[in-house]
Parts: sequence; C-alpha cells; structure tokens
Amino acid sequence: MAEPILEVSGLYKHYPLTQGVVLKKQIGAVKAVDGVDFTLDRGETLGIVGESGCGKSTVAKMLVNLEKPTAGSIKYRGEDVTKLSGRALKAVRRNIQMVFQDPYTSLNPRMTVGDIIGEPYDIHPEVAPKGDRRRRVQDLLDVVGLNPEYINRYPHQFSGGQRQRIGIARGLALRPEVIVADEPVSALDVSVQAQVINLMDRLQNEFDLSYVFIAHDLSIVRHISDRVGVMYLGRIVEIGRDAEIYDHPTHPYTQALLSAVPVPDPEAREQRERIILAGDVPSPTNIPSGCRFRTRCWKAQERCALEVPPLAVPPHLRLLTGPAVHDSACLFAEEKQAVPVGEAPDDHGEGSP
Amino acid sequence: MLLEVRDLHVEFRTRDGVAKAVNGVNCSVDAGETLAVLGESGSGKSVTAQAVMGILDMPPGRIAAGEILFRERDLLKLKEEERRKIRGAQMAMIFQDALSSLNPVLSVGDQLGEMFVVHQGMSKKDGRAKAIELMDRVRIPAARERVRQYPHQFSGGMRQRIMIAMALALEPALIIADEPTTALDVTVQAQVMELLAELQREYHMGLILITHDLGVVADVADKIAVMYAGRIVESAPVHDIYKAPAHPYTRGLLESIPRLDQKGQELYAIKGLPPNLMHIPPGCAFHPRCPMARDVCRTDEPPLYEVSEVRGSACHFWRECLHG
Repeated sequence: MAEPILEVSGLYKHYPLTQGVVLKKQIGAVKAVDGVDFTLDRGETLGIVGESGCGKSTVAKMLVNLEKPTAGSIKYRGEDVTKLSGRALKAVRRNIQMVFQDPYTSLNPRMTVGDIIGEPYDIHPEVAPKGDRRRRVQDLLDVVGLNPEYINRYPHQFSGGQRQRIGIARGLALRPEVIVADEPVSALDVSVQAQVINLMDRLQNEFDLSYVFIAHDLSIVRHISDRVGVMYLGRIVEIGRDAEIYDHPTHPYTQALLSAVPVPDPEAREQRERIILAGDVPSPTNIPSGCRFRTRCWKAQERCALEVPPLAVPPHLRLLTGPAVHDSACLFAEEKQAVPVGEAPDDHGEGSP
Repeated sequence: MLLEVRDLHVEFRTRDGVAKAVNGVNCSVDAGETLAVLGESGSGKSVTAQAVMGILDMPPGRIAAGEILFRERDLLKLKEEERRKIRGAQMAMIFQDALSSLNPVLSVGDQLGEMFVVHQGMSKKDGRAKAIELMDRVRIPAARERVRQYPHQFSGGMRQRIMIAMALALEPALIIADEPTTALDVTVQAQVMELLAELQREYHMGLILITHDLGVVADVADKIAVMYAGRIVESAPVHDIYKAPAHPYTRGLLESIPRLDQKGQELYAIKGLPPNLMHIPPGCAFHPRCPMARDVCRTDEPPLYEVSEVRGSACHFWRECLHG
C-alpha cells in the first residue's frame, strides 16, 4: 500500500491549569486530546465525529499547526511536522490548509474577497507571481461557484453559504494536498448545506484532495467520508470504514451516539431502540480511570475501571471475518445495530451545481 | 381548539424598508397535540411564535393583520396587563439558548421560585420548596443541593432542563419550544426531547415545536407546518409528509439531507438562496428556486390547496409533486 499522506501517532494536547499569580503552580491539566492515532491516505476523506468538548477541533488545530502538541507526532509524507521550523515548516503548511466553521467570523470584514482569497499568495509568493494573482483569484471564485466579478466585494455582501465558498476558495489557493475542515457546514441552513457538501465532493475529485472532515452531524460525516473515527473525551474510541462504523458498530459509545440521532422517518419512531445515556460527559480535567466511557456505559464492569482498552481489533473478534472486525477500544465490544434501516431512497434527479 | 392562528401578518420597519416576516399564517394546535413548525432561518417561524407569546419587539415589529385565538379569545384584542396573566400561567416558552435566557446572578432556585411568588403570591420559602419539586420532576439529580447553584454551574443539558422546569412551573396548557435542542449534543438532545414528550403526555399540554431539524420533527410531531418566506407552504400529519411531500420545497428539504443508514449519491441541492424578506418574489415566493416552476407560478400566488381533509399545499402543481 502507498504511504499515507498524514500519519498521526500518540497525539496529546494538555492545557495546564495553574494557581497563583507570581509563583504559578500547576494544579492539573485539561486533557483536550489524550492519545490520538490515525492515518490519512491520498484522496481519502477521514471523518471525525464526537460531541462538543471531545477534542476534535483541537486535533484539527494541531494538524494545521495552530496549536503545538504536548506530545506525539504528525507525519506528513513521512516527515514529522511537529519537529520542523522555519522554511521547512512553511513548505509543509502550504500543503495542509484549513476551512473553518463559522463563515461569519473567519473572514476579515475589512478585506475584499479578492484580498482574502489572495492573501495566502503574500505569504507563499512562489505559488503565484504578482501579476498573475488577480486571474488566479477569479479562477478560484469560478471553481467554487461564485461569480468572478465579485472579486471587489466585501464579505457582508454575501450569504452564509457563499461565505463558506469564499473560505473554501482561500483554502484551495495554494493548491494544498490536505484540507482540514472543522464543522464546515454546521452554521448553514439545511438547503444550503447540501450545496456546500456537493462542492467539497466535486473539488476533491478535481484537485485530488485528501480531507479530514470534522463534524458533530453523523449523517453528514457518513455522506462525505470513506473512513470514520469516533472521538470521546480526547481519544478515538472506534475507527473504521463508514459501513463498519454505521452499520456494524461495536463500541457502546458509537452505538449510543447513532441511536440518539433523530432520523427523518416517522415510521422508524416506534420500531427503533433508543439508547439514552445517563449523565453528562465527564470533565477533561478529571478523566475516569481505565475506560473513559465507563461512567456512562451500561456494560461497564469492574475490569473497565482498571484496564485501558487499546484502540485495536478486540481479541475476541479477531478470529471472525466481516465488517464487525475493526478497531474498537472496548473490552466488551460487540456488534449491535443502532440505526434503523429504512427503505432505499428513490432515485431523484441530478443535483444542481 | 386550544390555539388557533388566523391569517397572521407581521412586518418589521427597518431603515431600508418594510420586511414582511409573516405573511398570512394559519395554524392550530389542540391539547395533547404536537405541532412542528419547520423552516430555515428567516422563514418566519420564530416571529410567529413570538407573536403568539406576545413578546414581539414592537416597534420595529408590527402585527399588520390576523387573529390569535387562545381558548376562543383573541389575544391581540387584550390589554397588555391581561396578556401578562396568560403568559407564563397558561402558555409558556422554552428558548434555544438556555444560558442567555437565565439570569446569571440569581440562583436557579430563586428564578424557579419567582414564578410562584409573582403569579401565585407564595412566600419565598414556599417558592423554594416548589423549585426543588420542579427540579426533581425534570430529573435534575441532587435537586435539594443544586437549587442554590447558579446557571453557569450546570451543563448545557441541565440548563435546558431548568428552562423546561420554568416553563412547566404553572402547568400551562400550551408550551412553545423554539429550537429547544439545537445547542445540545445528540446524546443530550435525545434525553431532553424524551423528557419534553413525557411531560407533555403527563400534563396533556399542547406543544408547538419550532425547528429546522427534519429528524427531530419526525421523532416527536403529530402534525407539521412547513414555512417558507413567511407563509406555510405545506401542512400535514407527520406520516403523510415524509411519505410523499406535496410541495416542491418540502421535497427538496427531505432530499437534501444525507442519510444515516446508507451512503448516498450526490445530494440533491435546492438551488439559490432563501428570498430577502424586503423583496419577496411575486407569485409563488419559491418559484425562483423551484424545479417545477412554470409561468403561472411567477404571477399567481398559490392559495393553500386542500390535498386532503387534514392536509394542505401552497403549490399550483401539488398533484404532480405528490405523485412523482
């Protein structure tokens, strides 16, 4: 198999909690990311799902070097990005770009669209010579489905969906290989979400991009991802191909998460079995011993408080074959259908651009 | 009928002109029934709710026409004093953002107890006892200790439970919930929606659920009203609408959401953007985005055609839409 484009191993991000003003004493840490491993292949989309506070956005920030990891490595084409600096780092950052969640705050209101999309060229002038920039920005506007004549307009003259297209155009400006998208459609209306998702799908094929797609909406993540990782309290608890996770989940947290998603089908209302989790997510300053999910898990036993389950194919499933055999960090992993299976959707017409 | 809204029109005066937020809404909800009002931002769903509750900012808002009948009385003809007696006691509202709807400098016990002190003239001490009872009822653990705590000491889900407790306090006949779970995570959303449905059954209340989430609607609603540009474009029992939508906008919405149970092809996307409420297109407001639009749609505003006794669609071509 070809070398993965990104390889993340043992990634940690702990924010220290201190007490006192002059003599700062560390009294603990917010363990936002607490041991994350995954790989991303070329042209692939890896979805990361999880509830708020699970550390998925912190992972995104570390991938694009907006946060320095406390420990661990992020290898881009075999080279550890966390150890690079200066020119070498700059070259890598060009190839890993980010699309942010909120299209209202991630664009500078005082800059024109042309300046926003063209700004990456100021930092990486080798990508586009000065005289060529305007044409390149107009090309980018065209690629994301905006009128190239809008180049001199300001962000407030655009709707939310159009602004997100501007954010995507900026992400594409340097022709990166990897795009990290953190909740790129969650601020948009339902009818506009589909437009932006279709755009991202199209751009992936056109530019041979690899995506790390972070979201809390499980349906959207399934739609766009080849593989999906489920995060809970700073760690990936289950990871696999989309059908493995959605149709054959083995980790109780994934099962609870999937069963809680409201499905737009009133017929399914009576037949489905809901797993309602008790309580809230524990604080990341005080992560439970052993399995971090055990405090809300209906299967938890004494062993779960003592042993940390590794993210691997569980031993008792190793001899089997089929989609239930994938990495799952649970000592008692067991397949369970969590999504009611509906009828196939009708063949509707082609989507608009 | 518990609540009946007839031909409601609401507009906002702004510097740039008049924005027509609600343009002739008719809907009703009975005791024990759940009506879901579905729409995107700017569709007028929240403004309708605010008009019913009587908490619309006026000015700039103005109710241009219509009737809001609550237990056969037109609320719009009442004096503010009389409305205040109804609000909270007979109808209550749950807002989306619990943190900004609660007072940060008062303990939750004080805020819950206040309902009884103000409306029923109870003493502060009795109010506190009632607050504990309510917190128990919405299943907040250790209510007796937590009654003294402040909103910031509760998690998002627990805060939304406090909002529900506050709405339930005086056992109203009608509850309006405006995106009650939008700010919550899915596992917590499931807890809160289940609690709300259970309490509704227990008290036999009417519930108006305002949301943009087609999944939440399918889970709890009895009937549904789909809003677009300030009008109800389709209204139907919930089972009918998901089986076969009778309006192209509803159809577009249903087809544009990805599915959890299978990986789909390219998503259907409704083209274009929702209209500017200051310049609502003539004829059918949806025609610039509609794949079925014809000449008549650009000129004639469709009435709410009767699809069946319990179902209406504001589309000239609802038959075509319904059958394929």
